[in-house]
Amino acid sequence: MTLLKIENLQAKVGGKDVLKGLSLSVNAGEVHAIMGPNGSGKSTLAYVLAGRPGYEITGGSVEFMGRDLFSLEPEERARAGMFLGFQYPVEIPGVNNVYLLKAAVNAKRKAADQPEVDAYEFLQLVRAKMKVMQMDESFLSRGVNEGFSGGEKKRNEILQMLVLEPALAVLDETDSGLDIDALKVVARGVNSLRAPDRGVLLITHYQRLLDHIVPDFVHVLARGRIAKSGGKELARELEQRGYDWVLEVA
Amino acid sequence: MIPLPTNRDENWRYANLRPLAKARPDAVADSASGTAASLPPPLPGFERWVFVDGRLVTSPATSLARVLDARAAGDAFAAQLDDSMAAAGVDFALARINAARGDQVLHVALPEGAAASLELLFVASAGAASGTSYPRVQLHVGRGARLCLAERHLSQGTADSAINAAIDAALSPDAAVEHTRVQNVADKASCFDTLVVHVGERASYSLRTVTLGGSASRSTMFIKLAGRAARCELTAAGVANGTQTHDVFAEIEHAAPETVTRELFRGIAGDRGKLAFNGKIIVREHAHESDSAQSLKTLLTGSGAEAAARPQLEIYTDRVRAAHGATTGKLDDHMLFYLLSRGVERSTAQALLQWAFIEDAVSRVTPGALREDVERVIVRRLSDVASLGLLEAT
Repeated sequence: MTLLKIENLQAKVGGKDVLKGLSLSVNAGEVHAIMGPNGSGKSTLAYVLAGRPGYEITGGSVEFMGRDLFSLEPEERARAGMFLGFQYPVEIPGVNNVYLLKAAVNAKRKAADQPEVDAYEFLQLVRAKMKVMQMDESFLSRGVNEGFSGGEKKRNEILQMLVLEPALAVLDETDSGLDIDALKVVARGVNSLRAPDRGVLLITHYQRLLDHIVPDFVHVLARGRIAKSGGKELARELEQRGYDWVLEVA
Repeated sequence: MIPLPTNRDENWRYANLRPLAKARPDAVADSASGTAASLPPPLPGFERWVFVDGRLVTSPATSLARVLDARAAGDAFAAQLDDSMAAAGVDFALARINAARGDQVLHVALPEGAAASLELLFVASAGAASGTSYPRVQLHVGRGARLCLAERHLSQGTADSAINAAIDAALSPDAAVEHTRVQNVADKASCFDTLVVHVGERASYSLRTVTLGGSASRSTMFIKLAGRAARCELTAAGVANGTQTHDVFAEIEHAAPETVTRELFRGIAGDRGKLAFNGKIIVREHAHESDSAQSLKTLLTGSGAEAAARPQLEIYTDRVRAAHGATTGKLDDHMLFYLLSRGVERSTAQALLQWAFIEDAVSRVTPGALREDVERVIVRRLSDVASLGLLEAT
């Protein structure tokens, strides 16, 4: 089953063309890595998929699980099974992590005509996922990302992902700012979500994350489009030869 | 007849005084008819005094407080107001009317080293057509004494009661007062109050005030840090929905060296509500090494809402620290998108962010039982978050 089908996508940010005809398909069960130099449009792709305001779609189409993605509001995309792991998770003092998780889970259940989550079962589920992410329970009663270190924020993103169990996770530079131990924890979290009915779009600048989350496909994003695609070995080649080589070929 | 202030006066620019102008200024005549039914549960550890339309109906068996004839106590209070007015340049007309018309004053005198916790429940019952109620409290807090004061204004029924309250407090050296005031009167009622506080050497006055109810409210506060190292913490929160107008004028005078102020205001104006917080801090010439910080923020959530957060600083000496920040704005787009990206309904996300905004101030309310009461009222107003268990322990 095709989870995500992007065709000739073009998008503007601040009046500037950033995505210039990007095409990509992600099937259920696949992990795709998108690599590329700074400014190539990686984060723009992530935000466009999640529906962040300020990004203007100027051409092309995106189908998500058979639906026109751009006809859905950001919250509808999330409830339909899309998850964006932010490169820079937002701090929201005063909104506890547990409220956010509960609000998110209940919104998804409501959309699926399911009753609200039982408070006890919910906490049990969250605690189990926190264990995977090696997070202390005190995180639950803290404000969302409030005063978290860079690594804690990224773990919290993955925790939210594990609780929400999305069909497609778009992870935007989830490895940035992580030391090697935190990277392993984050990778374990992502790997635990891998399943035949889910897909992952892993946006990263460096190859090291792909040692821990092994992708099925690697794409190089350059100048707003996919310049080269290959298997996991492409990441190693990029690590050795840099991005210039792809840019020259493209 | 004492004339009411007008909006032409800069310090009264945002106040809606129409309800008071329409009400009869005479005190409600028949307090015997006032009974208090269905009151909130008493705060644990506090002795409770209940007033209906400004007059005492229930008092504890023994107390450090007692009700006096206001006519007798009035002169001292009036004299103190005169002093404050001369210093502050504020029009205390409402307090003067209270002093002239009210007939009862609760007098609290804490001797040196004593400790007490008082809950003052002011219940509004009668409509404005039958008169104005004049709650009035005088506090004398002795050297090193500690007072926790929970002052609550609420309504019994839905009458358009007019309330004009006045409190004056004098803190002796090393005294500490934790004063919480919660105003949640009926939709049509209006609540005006004046607070004058004199803080002695090393004494600490902490006020947390939450304004939720009524069609119109105005708080006029004047706090004088009179003794060396006196300290004031003022936290105020307000929510104005519908066509509510909530206005606060707070003047804090640093009149002695090493005095400290911490002031925080958080207000949400929705629908066509209006909110104003005018925070004036004066640092006198000899108040060197004093330290003041103001953080005033208002949030606009309604297309017809208005809000004004005005910090004002008057500093007459160089050796001071004074920090202030004031913002009026809408919900943060980044925060909103983050919540939406998790699938949270837009209305729920907005309510969550409003809750977080106001909690910054409300979380400081003490005692805990009163804070939870306030939080319940706020959560009910933000109906979209009612099911999230915001008030449950996690």
